[in-house]
Amino acid sequence: MSDKPKSQTVLVVGGGIGGISAALEAAECGSEVVLIEKAPTLGGRVAALNRYFPKMCHPTCGLEINYQRIKKNPRIKVFTMAEVSGISGAAGDYTVTVTTTPRFVTPACTACGDCASAATSEVADPFNYNLSKVKAAYLPHTMAFPMRYIVDASVVGTPEGQAIKAACKLNAVNLDEKPDSFTLSVGAVIWATGWRPYDPNKLTMYRYADLADVITNVEMERLASHDGPTKGKVLRPSNNEAPKKVALIQCAGSRDLNHLAYCSRICCLASMKHAAYVREQYPEAEVDIYYIDIRAHDKLEAFYRKAKADPGIRWIKSKPSRIEKGAAGEPVVCGENTLSREVYANAYDLVVLATGMQASAQPPAGAELDEYGFVVSEEGVFGAGVATGPLDVSMSVQSATAAALRAVQAVRS
Amino acid sequence: MNAISPTPKRAYDLNFARYVYENIDGGERLRMCMQCGACSGSCPIGQQMDHGPRKLFMMIRAGMKEAVLTSNTIWNCVSCYNCVVRCPRKVPITYILHDLAYLAVQEGYEPAKKADNARFAKAFWWSAAKYGRTDERLVTGIYYFSFGIGEGMKRGMANQKIAMNMIKTKRMHLGMPHAIKAKDELQKILAKATEIQARHGKGA
Repeated sequence: MSDKPKSQTVLVVGGGIGGISAALEAAECGSEVVLIEKAPTLGGRVAALNRYFPKMCHPTCGLEINYQRIKKNPRIKVFTMAEVSGISGAAGDYTVTVTTTPRFVTPACTACGDCASAATSEVADPFNYNLSKVKAAYLPHTMAFPMRYIVDASVVGTPEGQAIKAACKLNAVNLDEKPDSFTLSVGAVIWATGWRPYDPNKLTMYRYADLADVITNVEMERLASHDGPTKGKVLRPSNNEAPKKVALIQCAGSRDLNHLAYCSRICCLASMKHAAYVREQYPEAEVDIYYIDIRAHDKLEAFYRKAKADPGIRWIKSKPSRIEKGAAGEPVVCGENTLSREVYANAYDLVVLATGMQASAQPPAGAELDEYGFVVSEEGVFGAGVATGPLDVSMSVQSATAAALRAVQAVRS
Repeated sequence: MNAISPTPKRAYDLNFARYVYENIDGGERLRMCMQCGACSGSCPIGQQMDHGPRKLFMMIRAGMKEAVLTSNTIWNCVSCYNCVVRCPRKVPITYILHDLAYLAVQEGYEPAKKADNARFAKAFWWSAAKYGRTDERLVTGIYYFSFGIGEGMKRGMANQKIAMNMIKTKRMHLGMPHAIKAKDELQKILAKATEIQARHGKGA
């Protein structure tokens, strides 16, 4: 760029670990940053994880540190429940239209919870991947940022909505909020729009839709989380009993030309972590991992070796061809063991599908995308984290830092 | 088409994989196989197959020509297409198995000549090429008597009741075999097909 950029502000779209990291790195380099997130809270999919591999530490810890950095940095402006609806201009001079969805709760909220006590109806809890329900006035999760309640749109205009409003001593409930929009002038855009789990209903041979004890890896994270639907106990969804035999199926959608053609990179390690959850909670339980190849790259090899040393984990080199319904309604995993050539049909109490990473449902407005919907960086517009392709958390942070560096250079030249 | 045709009666042929990739129907996608086992696991009669498609494909890569072409896997495929639908690399497994079976017959391997499916296919093709239709009595007869006169009689007698019922319900007729009107047109089509096949290096 020969001309001096008109705006020195960096816009970061997406408030997951990638967006938070990119926003912080850019702001700590001295740039003005606007961070927008479509959900009511920052944290994204990382907030919904129980623990990280390979250190098995809790994501809440890292999020807490990052939230502190955001709070202490006057250069970052955070907008939640906001999305980019349009973008125009060129590198150094973009005009971005942002639309907001009403939260019905103002910043005066102190998260006391009186509104939730007044609420009578319940709505599906997206934080728990709809495995449980929450009151119609709720805190998105215990690590929410901003620490502010949200009133579900379904109670607006009802007597229940009025009761919720009346319950707030600080008068922070405003049921008259309407969808709004505003424009921003920015010099660079970082897309950190993240990912979504591949829809398990598309894997019809694995019968996610009709077998209750077939779940996905992201649901497993919620089951294992203390603030999840089972308060941290890994239980069979069909009868809430402890599972004795668990199957973890790798490449559920990934490395498959009929689904996701690429390797999602995180699932092998995530499943080994899930094996650890089960083995920690139930030392007698048996875990079988079905895999095509184990892809534990560089430093993660040590985690794989540790899992391999556990006699309670069996490794079956096979892509299961299908799941059938057993006599008692239990899932029966069928396929061919490619090392022994044995054709097997093994019954389990719980089957976890390692569904892959797919690009976010709404493609970033105006960004260049590759054939799978991931962002390709160009002048002035950069991808960060999983918006650019499947990455684990540490690699997302690296990618976000790199994007921040490029954005900072773009608005300063 | 620069592959060398497999040499008959040789256990190992290092050109075999290349031959299959370039000449077998669907063979070009066989390169994509990643040995995941979804095919053999999907197969409804996978237990009866000596190798199953996945292992057979690895044997092709290893040049185990004779073992591949004498395998029962190529004859046991029932064309249900479960494996083709599920294959993550879109390998047309069914086509490949069928064309390998054809190659095994061409090369004159004993198990191929003796295979039930090969005998039946031969009888079926004879009738289809001659009349443009299949004649139940002739196809069944040729198939049964391909096992020898004694065995043919035995099988014929064992199925007498079924045959009578088929005649009764007009599923099988007595008299001359039915034929299509334009038999000469059919012969021309078949002659052309044989010519094209020969041009691509395959025998009739």
